[in-house]
Amino acid sequence: MEPAPKRSRRSRSGLALAKGRFVLGVTVPLLVYESLGVFVLGWAFVLMFFDYSSGRVGGPVLGLGGSNPFVGISHFVEMIRGTSVEANLFRTSLKNTLIFAFAVLPLNLAITLPLAYLLESIGDRFKALYRTIYFLPVLTSSVGVALIWLTMYNPQSGWINAILRFLGAQPVSWLSDPRAGFLGISVAMWAVILAYLWQDYGYNMVIFIAALQAIPQEFKDAAMIDGASAWRVFTRVTVPLIRPTMLFVCVMTMLSSFQVFDIIQVMTDGDPGYRTQVLMLDIYKNAFRYQRLGWAAAESFVLFLVVMGVTLLQMRLLRTEWEY
Amino acid sequence: MNTRRRFSWSGLLVVLSMLLAACGGGTAGPATGGEQPAGGEAQTVVRMWAHTNNAFIAGYEALIAAYEAEHPDVDIQLEHFDYELYLQTLQTAMPAGEEADILQLFGTWTSQYYERLTPVPPEVMTLEQAQQVFYAAPIGGYVVDGVLYGFPQEFNCEYGGVLVNKTLFEAAGLTFPPQWGTMDDVLVDARALSHVDSAGMMTVAGFHFTAADPTSFSFLAGILQRGGDFWNADHTGLTLNTPEARAQLEWMVQAVEMGVVDPVVFNDTTNFVIDAFFQGLVGIGYIGTWAIAEGQANFPDFADEWDYVFLPPVEGDPVFAADSGWGLTVSPNSEHQDIAWDFVRFVTTVPENALQFNLASGTIPAMPAVAESAEIAEQMPWVAKALDILPYGRYLGNMPDRDLVVYEIIYPHILNTLQGVETVDQALEAMEVEANSTFQ
Repeated sequence: MEPAPKRSRRSRSGLALAKGRFVLGVTVPLLVYESLGVFVLGWAFVLMFFDYSSGRVGGPVLGLGGSNPFVGISHFVEMIRGTSVEANLFRTSLKNTLIFAFAVLPLNLAITLPLAYLLESIGDRFKALYRTIYFLPVLTSSVGVALIWLTMYNPQSGWINAILRFLGAQPVSWLSDPRAGFLGISVAMWAVILAYLWQDYGYNMVIFIAALQAIPQEFKDAAMIDGASAWRVFTRVTVPLIRPTMLFVCVMTMLSSFQVFDIIQVMTDGDPGYRTQVLMLDIYKNAFRYQRLGWAAAESFVLFLVVMGVTLLQMRLLRTEWEY
Repeated sequence: MNTRRRFSWSGLLVVLSMLLAACGGGTAGPATGGEQPAGGEAQTVVRMWAHTNNAFIAGYEALIAAYEAEHPDVDIQLEHFDYELYLQTLQTAMPAGEEADILQLFGTWTSQYYERLTPVPPEVMTLEQAQQVFYAAPIGGYVVDGVLYGFPQEFNCEYGGVLVNKTLFEAAGLTFPPQWGTMDDVLVDARALSHVDSAGMMTVAGFHFTAADPTSFSFLAGILQRGGDFWNADHTGLTLNTPEARAQLEWMVQAVEMGVVDPVVFNDTTNFVIDAFFQGLVGIGYIGTWAIAEGQANFPDFADEWDYVFLPPVEGDPVFAADSGWGLTVSPNSEHQDIAWDFVRFVTTVPENALQFNLASGTIPAMPAVAESAEIAEQMPWVAKALDILPYGRYLGNMPDRDLVVYEIIYPHILNTLQGVETVDQALEAMEVEANSTFQ
């Protein structure tokens, strides 16, 4: 009879071997997969220093050099002070992207947080129903949402103008009038923002509902016993306690707003007169319509820097040192 | 190595192989297939790529069937992609050398892709022969630095042709078909056809010329017809801020001010010509003949009677610029260049086959011999009406990026001017500066 400890050691080493195989079997494919992503990022990083077009053969190494020449940082210099059409469109697109993102975020919070608070206050019978209704647009494809709103905004047959006509008001060319504006922002941009908000608000609302449910009722009860009104409970107890969630919502909403593409491409394709042309759309057009992949890569890098900067700023402003 | 360990490593290898296979793409390269035709001989598979246009695809499929009947050892496999996806596919596949043997390209793209295309072998056709066989405008797009890279299948004429709605003409008490001697006659009819509702919204555009191609190509044609040119003397840049360009743009502004169209409500993205015309919202719709097949397919219930006629020039002869048309080229990576070129020759240069394609696709023939045929006159009467102006068409000219110049520079600035957010001076100056910046 062999001593038991020896057998135990062998079984332990067998288990370790199996674990090792499992780890290897999982991590190697993942590493291969991730390396593809790293390669793509690296390729984009290299491209931004070249005047690269896929239509040209270029040099012997990955088509770089030759007819796809190295241009250093000249793309970035052109973006800042160039007069070329792509430089003008870049600056217009960056401005529009900032307008879009900084309009969407406060509007989204102004809709989703009160709505979540209201939904939390109604009976359980209707809560699930309303939650489902509000969340449905999130599940709808962006292209579908864009087509629905495109139909509603139609200047002649859309029902929004039909209502305006019924009320005796002037119909509006919602998506195609470059002269119409409100608060210094074109009506077309507001129209797209509205469609985007409609699709997106259900997501943040559900997150806020989860955050509100996690707040211990005792905190609110204590405040009310101390004589706080419902509004003061909301502003002085609820909002501070969901600050970590607000940080998450702000960062995610800002990220997705900076990357908005499909809904704008379908609804306006940047029109009227580039008033809704955002950076992602400009990057797409340069890369895939005009084959300026080097320029598009440089634009992508700028977008990355902008998104990172805004995210870091948000994290600094909304950071909390405590948990409950 | 024990069995379990062997099994683990082989499993890992399988996973890695699958990943690498996925990276390599499943549709790599032209191949000599092992397929067996009915007779038992091995077939040579030749792949062909085109953009998705149902009428075009029907034309290609019929010609592929005819070619394969003559060459049972060849299997032409047609793959087609939505327009935007096709652009992306070409741009990613060509640098990787993964493109199909035969590529459908638009003529003006040739100047962007010619480094990745095969010149036409002289035994297929020389440039001089091609210039005799095809109209100047369509073949011009396939020539870069004096080298021929493919053959056109259509004359993409965005200038001059308009859809006219008989029902609306008769309702307005106008003569149909219209007998226009000058462009002023067109504007008079257009004004009578326009309708604005009580709220001030234009519900019917008399003359919808404010989509991207009609606006851009009528602007360029206007420059030529007024005796100017939009190319500088040595063809190294564009001259868009000239007296002729100003006169043409001012004429367009005047047409809008007359009320023939509201460019805010009728343009390229809102109420596009085809959609608006085949819904009865346009009296005269400026658009290429290619729109006819598309309109009929997309709006089968449109009941109004209509026709396709050509506009008179703004001045002088009806000279105009055209940007070639769709055609076929061959990849230098093809392992079956001889077959690929033979198929391209069969489809594009044999008049009977070219005729068959033009009839199926509803496009203007790229060859005068086909355009002047009795079949075209009978089945596509609007082409017969264009025969007088087609010889006046000249190739737009090779630009670093034609789409960028037309769709991001010329059209937006003209539309801005027509919509009243830019002056004629601002538009002309900006167009010239921006267009020439693309040449640097």
